[in-house]
Amino acid sequence: MTTHLSEELKSALCERILVLDGAMGTTIRGYGLCESDARGERFQDNREDLLNNGDILSITQPDVIGDIHKRFYEAGSDICETNTFSGTVLAQSEFFVEDPRKTGGTKDPEFFEKQVLNNSELQDLVHELNIKSVQLAKEQANRVSQNDGRKRYVAGAIGPLTVSLTNVVDPNDTSFRPVTFDQVKQTYRHQIDALLEANCDILMVETIFDSLNAKAALVAIKESRTEAPVIISAAVGRGGETMISAQKVEALWNTFAHIDPLAIGLNCSLGPDLMEPFLRDLGKAATTHISCYPNAGLPNPLAPTGFDLEPQDMHDYIAAFADAGLLNLAGGCCGNTPEHIAAIAKSVQGKSPRPVPTLATA
Amino acid sequence: MSPVPRFLRLSGTEAYNHTPDKNFLMIGERTNVAGSPRFRKLIKENKLEDALEVARQQVENGANVIDICFDDGLIDGKFMMAKFLDLIQAEPDIQAVPIMVDSSKWEIIEEGLKHLQGKGIVNSISLKEGEEAFITNARHILNYGAAVVVMAFDEQGQAATYEDKCRICKRAYDILVDEVRFPPQDIIFDPNILTVATGIEEHNNYALDFINATRWIKKNLPFAKVSGGVSNISFSFRGNNAVREAMHSAFLYHATQAGMDMGIVNAGMLEVYDEIPENLLTAVEDVLLNKDDEATERLLDLAEEFKGQGSKKLVEDLSWREQPVEKRLEHSLLRGIDKFIDQDTEEALSKYEKPLTVIEGPLMDGMGIVGDLFGAGKMFLPQVVKSARVMKKSVAWLEPLMEEEREEKIIAQASRLCSEDSTLSISEARAIATKSFSNGKVIMATVKGDVHDIGKNIVGVVLSCNGFDVVDMGVMVSCDKILDAVEEHDADIIGLSGLITPSLDEMITVAKEAEKRGFGEKNIPILIGGATTSAAHTAIKIAGHYTGPLVHVLDASRSVPVTTALLSEDRQIFITTNEENHQKAREKFNGTKKKAALSIEQARANKVSIDWKSYAPPIPEFTGTRAIKSQSLRELATYIDWTPFFHTWELRGVWNSETETLKTRNKEGGKVAKELYSEAKELLEKIITEKRFTASGIYGFFPAKAEGDDIHLPDHNVTFHTLRQQNKKFEKPNYALSDYVAPKSDHLGGFVVGIHGADEWAAVLREQNNIDEALMVQALADRFAEAFAELLHHRARIAWGIERPGQFSQSELIHEKYQGIRPAPGYPSQPDHTEKRILFNLLQANEKASVELTESCAMHPGSAVCGLYFSHPDSHYFMIDNLQKDQIKDYAERKELSMEEVEKWLGPWLGY
Repeated sequence: MTTHLSEELKSALCERILVLDGAMGTTIRGYGLCESDARGERFQDNREDLLNNGDILSITQPDVIGDIHKRFYEAGSDICETNTFSGTVLAQSEFFVEDPRKTGGTKDPEFFEKQVLNNSELQDLVHELNIKSVQLAKEQANRVSQNDGRKRYVAGAIGPLTVSLTNVVDPNDTSFRPVTFDQVKQTYRHQIDALLEANCDILMVETIFDSLNAKAALVAIKESRTEAPVIISAAVGRGGETMISAQKVEALWNTFAHIDPLAIGLNCSLGPDLMEPFLRDLGKAATTHISCYPNAGLPNPLAPTGFDLEPQDMHDYIAAFADAGLLNLAGGCCGNTPEHIAAIAKSVQGKSPRPVPTLATA
Repeated sequence: MSPVPRFLRLSGTEAYNHTPDKNFLMIGERTNVAGSPRFRKLIKENKLEDALEVARQQVENGANVIDICFDDGLIDGKFMMAKFLDLIQAEPDIQAVPIMVDSSKWEIIEEGLKHLQGKGIVNSISLKEGEEAFITNARHILNYGAAVVVMAFDEQGQAATYEDKCRICKRAYDILVDEVRFPPQDIIFDPNILTVATGIEEHNNYALDFINATRWIKKNLPFAKVSGGVSNISFSFRGNNAVREAMHSAFLYHATQAGMDMGIVNAGMLEVYDEIPENLLTAVEDVLLNKDDEATERLLDLAEEFKGQGSKKLVEDLSWREQPVEKRLEHSLLRGIDKFIDQDTEEALSKYEKPLTVIEGPLMDGMGIVGDLFGAGKMFLPQVVKSARVMKKSVAWLEPLMEEEREEKIIAQASRLCSEDSTLSISEARAIATKSFSNGKVIMATVKGDVHDIGKNIVGVVLSCNGFDVVDMGVMVSCDKILDAVEEHDADIIGLSGLITPSLDEMITVAKEAEKRGFGEKNIPILIGGATTSAAHTAIKIAGHYTGPLVHVLDASRSVPVTTALLSEDRQIFITTNEENHQKAREKFNGTKKKAALSIEQARANKVSIDWKSYAPPIPEFTGTRAIKSQSLRELATYIDWTPFFHTWELRGVWNSETETLKTRNKEGGKVAKELYSEAKELLEKIITEKRFTASGIYGFFPAKAEGDDIHLPDHNVTFHTLRQQNKKFEKPNYALSDYVAPKSDHLGGFVVGIHGADEWAAVLREQNNIDEALMVQALADRFAEAFAELLHHRARIAWGIERPGQFSQSELIHEKYQGIRPAPGYPSQPDHTEKRILFNLLQANEKASVELTESCAMHPGSAVCGLYFSHPDSHYFMIDNLQKDQIKDYAERKELSMEEVEKWLGPWLGY
């Protein structure tokens, strides 16, 4: 069934530029939720605040999350990501397990092993959160599809972690890492199994700022033996390097070409203007579809959405990218509301997708 | 579009594509404990810094890939593979290139793969253990994404002859391509380079066998590559580098002609083929190509002549060493070179005399450039961290001197303290003095609600590399905990970090609370950093709440200069400049338009489009006004929305009228709310039964039509004026309230309600010092006024024929599910309070409902509500913003007021 889905998506991608969704976080903030809303009854007594734990809202405020999916689909998204950006045991532990540094400890592999990875309560919660999130997105995908007859898809969002496998945290021992590759792989596998159990259509490893963390996620996907299509998307800095591990985009493609992803692309960190040269580099190298969902410009804490660009601006940039033949999938990251996505959807309508270079036959 | 060729594509942080113009891929062999005695010694002695230097030199000498191997009985290979590759991740120069993970043990190979962010090469697998293990390992490698070296071995052992080499490679290729689906361009065969000129006859053809097998593989196994360990070939001439180098070069020359793609070589130990002396070349080639049985003898004879020669030395480019010391320090910091840092630091000290001057001078200047390059995307994070580590070395060299200096100062200060205050003991004086000369202590935390701290950790590393004492409190740290820690540690600086937008507000909270605790007065600096923070936001929204220095730090590379400046003796200069910058940012912010605006003509052209021709406006059952002298309070009580009531007591949450509980996370708050509610109910009952309040109001309907942005009531010759949104919008109209009134034969409604008796009662209670009850009385009066507005609107909609009685439940009414709106002048949809005057005159609200309007357009009694009624189903509330001069001029003319008067009333909504 998933192989069939891959083919279906590929043939859609031959015909048009598919539209991704916008920013979950930015859009959530538009609902003016307060701490008690985020906690709901269930997490009323949680030690840490939960308002900024966007993923937990799939459980405590399902209507809000469902409504956001609905608005993005209605604005023109073909594919919406599930509300599972931090839907891993490792990421969720930040909200449910006390930071050992507060009591003079350190975050190290032993801490993660004992307090986090083997915490069955947390595992169950994260599992539930992923299942519920896929359901919320699927519900709206089906509903909106039925209304206008165009099929919508659900991509399971697999986001970055709050710990990195390449970054130096101790200047006195530059080989120290707070977490191991196997632990990262394990936490991603747990999420991936849940996303697949709930039948999400696509797996999306995104906002990659550390290529080794992403590699752990992708090895986990490989080991799960799923045939679900995979989208890989990196967050790069002003020099076109993954933000933490400093890998250039062509090197990134070389690293992940063996996955044979449905698409590879860039998202977050930059606005479309600063992203463009690296999108071109990636497009030249990659023998698969290119996805692009930039932030609505750079962060501007004084703007109402927290970012500079308005729907019309995003429309103009993405239209220019499409005209230049750079795109197969387009959407928006931080700062992009349903209005922005409507503008982006309009900007790619009727435009030819980037022709995908094929690899010489073996 | 032509297909993309199947090149071998690898990566470190940079891509390496083995395109035809690359000729030969050089794999550095010096980081292999089996091949390099020096490297083995360094590893065994745990001199990992020096071992890293070996890796770096290979990259500098032109290795495209470096081979890393720890196969040695006395080394824990798995542990060292992980550790060394992690160390390499902190070395930007080395991790640029792809890495070859080399081991005969699978567990070491797999460990290596777990520590490579890029696409490397596995060296090696083979059919030695049979097909099953071969396939399993190949599948694992494919999961990680790496190319693979396949040794020409099978269950019977090493392939030495041409035929065996071809046969085994073919078998391995077919399994990999057909069964494992390994990309053929990622398969690299090593058909075994074996030592020649050993004196054993069957070894004489080894070089040719390799070369011929290479030719066969390249011809018959599409896209596969051929590699080999080149130095094996010359093992018989150990100790004679000239001959060995000649043999390597000549062998490579012939093997590459046959198609060999890459080889494990000492990049620093290769003679240029054309520069090999002719007689040596002939002798070497005779051996390699097995020209005749005497070839070995001839080369052995000739070799004596070349003994002790050779070994080309690679010259490091050290021209930068001739520059002045400041430039050299800068170069070392920028490139992350620590080799010369001690001697350069020493030289700088002799020039600048004081250690601190060296730090604050040339070192900080260097870090400043690092910051600039990082900001411009020309340096990356690992390089910044590397620079900080070089800085650390320099500071560490200076540290003992600073310690001495500090000690002298402490003694001087302590004795001064003693002489000034004779009650101080020497040890007390010393403690005080020590504190004043200690390294800066920085408390760092990611603020409450935010879990992101990779960036903050990097700042921590960079700061601790520079001699600061860093206390990292982790993530999600509450304001109180941060400030407690500042007191507990007697910290010199507070660092606040956050990645997500809501953290900005939490930072404001921390700044306010820090001010309350007197930190501002004590001049404890607060640093603000993180992805969504900005210099402008810091200046405009945060700095105003704190009287001490408050500085935005752009990124980790800036943290050291800022922190150093804040703790230096000249800190006042930095602080003053910082404050001036804040002032400029504030002025700029206040002086600029926030958003793109349309002209009023453009905005009107983008008004709400309603097809009035196909719309019949509802007709109310009466026109003119109806007054309610005394509305039943009991009925009003059912219309009360309690949620805002609790806000008066700072209790946030949502009131559930069925369970009579406040949904709030604060358990204590929930309890307080319940108590408060029961008190309120008691008072409410008292108000109703004792008729403490009188609710009077008036409402009415009037024939109306829209005229431009005005709404004209022809029967009364009255005009209401509306304002239009002027923001540049995407696909949405620029709203004005007049858009919802038909250009002819429509109606407009209006109302005023007030609650009498509350203000007087509250005044009496205040006089009796019964503040709580006074507050409660007024809060309830406010609720009654809102409830009255809601009830009247309900009646008005029924009278207007747009709602049936009982169509909506009480809670649906509270949630405004009905058709039509009741916007009030002074509120977002029409922010002009002076429109109330027109409404009050029209309804004669003063005479008929006893609600007065003061000169400043405030209503009396205080608990009163007024507004207009609109019936159109599309009508909704919106927010006026960004009003431009053209509209204000037009609006002033329509209202017959001066521009200044209008601007005074609409100040906050002006966009110019």
